[in-house]
Formats: sequence, C-alpha cells, structure tokens
Amino acid sequence: MTTCIRIAHLFPELLNLYADQGNLAVLAKRAMLRDIEVSITPVKLGCQLDLATTDLVMLGGGSDREQAVVGKELLRYKADLQEAVDAGLPILAVCGGYQLLGSYYELPNKERIKGLSLLDFASIAGPSRLIGNIAIEWLQADGSLTGKTIVGFENHGGRTHHNYPALGRVLQGHGNNGEDHLEGIQYKGIVATYIHGPLLPKNPHIADHLLQKALRYRGYFEPLSPLDDELAFMAHNDMLKRLGVTMMMKEK
Amino acid sequence: MVFKRKRIRSTSYLALWLGKLVYLLLRALRKKGTSLPGLLLWRIRPSLLQELLQQLDQCVLVTGTNGKTTTTALLHAMLDHEEDPWITNRGGANLIQGLLAALLQNVSFSGRMLAKNAVLEVDEATFPHVMTRVSPTVLVVTNVLRDQLDRYGEVDQALTLIRQGILLHPESQVVVNADDPLSASLGVDRELTYFYGMAVTPHHDPHRAEVRDGAFCLHCGHELHYEGFIYGQMGYYECPSCGFARPAPHFSGVPDEAKKYLQVTETNRQVASSVYTFHAPMFGIYNWYNLLSAIATARILGRSPRILQDSIQRFVAPTGRMQTFAGSPRRILTLIKNPTGANSVLRAIESDEEQKSICFTINDNDADGRDVSWLWDIDLTSFVANATCQKYYCAGTRALDMALRLTYAGVARDQLELIESLEKVDPATKEAQGKVYILSTYTALHKLAAQFGEQHQGKVGRV
Repeated sequence: MTTCIRIAHLFPELLNLYADQGNLAVLAKRAMLRDIEVSITPVKLGCQLDLATTDLVMLGGGSDREQAVVGKELLRYKADLQEAVDAGLPILAVCGGYQLLGSYYELPNKERIKGLSLLDFASIAGPSRLIGNIAIEWLQADGSLTGKTIVGFENHGGRTHHNYPALGRVLQGHGNNGEDHLEGIQYKGIVATYIHGPLLPKNPHIADHLLQKALRYRGYFEPLSPLDDELAFMAHNDMLKRLGVTMMMKEK
Repeated sequence: MVFKRKRIRSTSYLALWLGKLVYLLLRALRKKGTSLPGLLLWRIRPSLLQELLQQLDQCVLVTGTNGKTTTTALLHAMLDHEEDPWITNRGGANLIQGLLAALLQNVSFSGRMLAKNAVLEVDEATFPHVMTRVSPTVLVVTNVLRDQLDRYGEVDQALTLIRQGILLHPESQVVVNADDPLSASLGVDRELTYFYGMAVTPHHDPHRAEVRDGAFCLHCGHELHYEGFIYGQMGYYECPSCGFARPAPHFSGVPDEAKKYLQVTETNRQVASSVYTFHAPMFGIYNWYNLLSAIATARILGRSPRILQDSIQRFVAPTGRMQTFAGSPRRILTLIKNPTGANSVLRAIESDEEQKSICFTINDNDADGRDVSWLWDIDLTSFVANATCQKYYCAGTRALDMALRLTYAGVARDQLELIESLEKVDPATKEAQGKVYILSTYTALHKLAAQFGEQHQGKVGRV
C-alpha cells in the first residue's frame, strides 16, 4: 500500500497573500521524493471541508477584508475543528491564519475580526507594522532549545500574546509582538507563525516536521528519509549571515 | 475657477535657487538622473511642488501598480513637440523628489515654468500627496496588481490610495482599465471617465496557476465570474450577485494575428465611431495595454491618429522594458517586480521558439520590495515545462532564493548556475548559446544595462 497524505488548503482564493502556495509546493515535492503520495484539496468558499479525510490543514494569510470573510465561513466548522485539534490534527497557520486560530484580531479602529477560538489568545493591531527579515531559534514543545534555526520574512500589524509553547525564540526580528522575543505557537499538531517568505522552502526541517506529523496523524510511523537540501541550507545560512546570526544550520 | 499664479511665491526663491544650483552643479559633474535636488527642495520648501505644478496648463498623471514608466514614456513621445514641450520624469523617478527634480529642470531663476505641460508618472503611495496639490487634466490608471506588498501592506491599500486621490478631483478626466476589476471600480458611476480594454478572445487555461487579486467583487464581496482571462486578473468578468461587470470600453484594442499591430476602435455612446491601426513598438500583452492607455489619453487630449502613429514609430523603449542589447549572445533586459508582471513576461518569452537562456537577477533592496515571497507566486512550473530554456542563471542579493524556487519548479541542478555578483552577470551569460533574457528587479536594472553597453539599433524593444 502506498502512503498518502491528504492536505486541505483552506480558501486558496482568499488566503494567499504571501505566496503561501509555495509551502504546499514544498510539502508536495518533499513527499513525492520519498514516494509518499500527496493530494491537495483546495477548499474554496462554499465548499465542504471534510476533516475526516484530512491529514494536514494549510491556513494562509490574507488582507483584513479577506480574513474577515474566512473567519465567518470557518465558524461553522468550529466544533469539528476543535475536536480534530484535540486529536492532534496538524495545521500550518501563517500570519492571518495564525490570528484566526485565536478568539479575535482587533483592527486599529477597534473593530474585531472574529477568530475560531481554537486556542485561547487574541491579537491586537499595534501602532505600526512589524516588517522585515527574521531569524528564530526553533524550540521544542517543552521550551528547550533544538539548536536549529528558522528564517523568513514577517509583515504584520497584529501583536499576539499567548501562554502556549512558542515556535521559537527571536534571534533577529520582531516575532509575536516585538516585546517578549517569542515567535509563533506550537501546540499539539498546530504550527502557527508570522513567518512567511514562504516559510517552508528555506526551512526544510520544518517542512519535514510537518510531514512527519501528518504521517503520524494518519497512522504511519516510519521516519522520513533524508533529502539533498544543500541549496535550501545555503539560502537559509545566507539569510542568517545577513542578519548577523552566528549560529548556522548544518545539513543532516 | 482656480487662480493660477504665474510664478512662485517670493519666499520660495531662496530654496528654488539653491535647488537649481545643486542641479547645475550635479550636471556639471555629469551626475545625471539623480533626484537629489528634488529631495533637497522637498525638505526645505515643500510648498514649491504646488507652486510649480499650479503653473501648468495641462498636467497628465499616470499611476497604478504596473506599466507606469512605459505608458508615461509612450505618452511623452505622443504629446511632446518642439513648439509645445512636455515635461516628464524619466526612468521611474516617481516619488515626490523625482517629480520636483523633473519640474526644477524646467523652471527659470525667476520662478516661472518654461514649459506649460507635463506628463508625470506617480507612485501609488505618492499619488494622494500630488492630487492635493494639482488638478490633473487627465489621470491614467494602468492597473492595480499585487506589487511590493511590504511597502504598502497590501493590494487593497494601493487601491484605496488611488481612490482617495481621484475623489479629490471630480473635474479631472480619468482613463481606466476596464479589464481589471480593481481599477475599473475606480471609474464606475463617475463622470468624465474613459475606459479602455482589449477585445480579444480570452483564453481559459486551467493549468496556469496565476494569482488573481481581483477575483472578488469589491462592492459585495462575491466571487467574480470570469468568461475568460487575458492576463492576471484582467479579463471579462461579472459579479453574479450585485451585477458589477466589465464596463464597455470607449477605447477597445485588438492585436492582429502576428501581434505586430494594434487596432483601436473608439466608441461614443455605444456607437463605434472610428478605427485606427497602430504599429506595436514592444512585445508582451502587458505592453499592449500600456500602448492602448497611452493612445486613449492622447486621443482625449486631441492628438490625431497620424501623430500617434508617427511617434510610436520613433519610440525607444525605456531601460529594462524588453530592451535589446547588441552583441553575441543578444541580451534582452526586462524588469520584473511582481507575479503578474513576471508571468506576462514569461509568457512572452515562452512564445519565442529560438535557442535561449534566462537569467533572474533578484535584489531585495527597499525599491525592489524587501519581501521576495512573490517569487513563489510566479507560475514557473508551466514555464519550465513549456519553454525550452538551456540554462537558468540566478544573480542578485536573493540569487539563492530564486535558485531554490527554480529547483522546486523542476529545473535540474546542472541547468542552474549561480552568479555570485552583479558585475559577473555580463561575463557569465556571455557563454550562453542563443539569446539570454535577463529578468531583473528594479535596483539591478540600470547597473545591468550599463554592463551590456550599447542598445541594439533598429530593433529597439523588439526581438
């Protein structure tokens, strides 16, 4: 039997502000190179999201207008999504998608875009946008260091504060709120982050981390075979160097 | 009636003279094309912009996300005349300092404008600032595509900025792209608005994965229904919910089979009144739009089709707009800055069946946009599969990002060559067989053009 992962890409027509489809291209290619089949189902407005046949959810970022439309549409899945999240459904949520996992995103005019409240946090627009290249050190779920870095670009007006384990500790850049030096969330199957660029091409270890989660969720437990990531880590280390970070990533 | 001053205010002279002196000094030092004197004026005497602009008899502004420089250059070629000179800001100097620098070159020491007309390209974010200072005779909006997101936040904001500017001047004539739902929304229910659009058979290719920012109705949020796409979000659209639809164009263009000529039909009150044919000076569908909007604007300003035909014949493509360089291999330099623009450039290259290579020069300086995630929105997979490129070169500060992007699009490692610095683009691509298309972001463009030397004579802007 061939191994197969089923990815649901939520609202690609609305949430692709920062080339989030690049993340899917990376996941699909890396799975394919290991003889794992991938099916990507675009779930557009009005389509049915079938969580029973989904092993990984991709939730990208959109403009405020688009985020509000998506927030409304997703509310009807709230109960099912909550159940799936508790069971460990892997979700990659980027930028606006990250904010949608919380209870709301408050715009500068105090208007609130309702989120899914899958996790207990909120985001509030700050006085300026936090923009620029970013490097973080990836943390383990228990908060200990992995010795691995994540690089990318951030561009968000929202400041997010939460009490969940963070995806990483900021080495250069702003992160969740520009104050506590933390970036993103890792909770059960969820990886949520403000980092795009897109996230996965230059961070193949995160791509594999997500693939592994999806495989486990589906019930496959074999480890992933290593790939040739020389070019990806060259690009990764080049960004670390530009940001003045001395830690470098080595290919496994 | 707005009272027009004949000169600047007496309190502005000192600043003006200083600006002119700096300009003359820079010119003596052969430092051309800098906006420095403009920047200086803007710092010490911001009111000068208004004082100079208000002396103009006719002022044409060109804004939008893509095609501003080419459209402005085309318009300048059509409008400028020895006896009635038009001022313009060349080379994409479209921020306030660029406008001021262009005006400064045409003002006397006594503060009087020496030329009374101007066609100026204006950056979207600068646009509202210019609109508070001048009432343009004609305003051209090229399109609103996803562009340099990290400068303005997002595409909605570019549209909002342009809308704000237009609302200030209901008396100005506005020329808008009917095929682009985002810019068309600017002209709906507005008097003195002229639409232009392509009357081609739109194709429907489900395999092209392009970004379409205009896919949703701005009025009611419903997904737009497209009968067909022309490029990007451009096409024949209609909102099934509120009825917003592509407006009937007053100027409608059809390229001929061989893509050498553009036939333009003018329509008045739904009646086709006249039809003219124009030679196309540049290739690529996006350049057909630039040509069409320039023709529409020049016609509104009363230029005869004959004058337009002559000026198009003499037209020289601005730097990096499918600019062809002499030598072997022949190099064709073109600007890319967002996915839709890059897709239309790639589509044009794909249709060239000769032996070719391609070189991506991707920088991430402020003027390029520091966020390069848009590289992943370019539809490269179908390009790599369809166009038979021999080699893929990557240069610029983000050469590695581009190379990585290409490998995911199916380019083999041995087809890929990294060029370590901008200076080495010329020697590295000299080895290539056939011609080399150089696709570059903004800040590398002029340095590359300088490397390749002389522009190919006779076939400027064409391949």
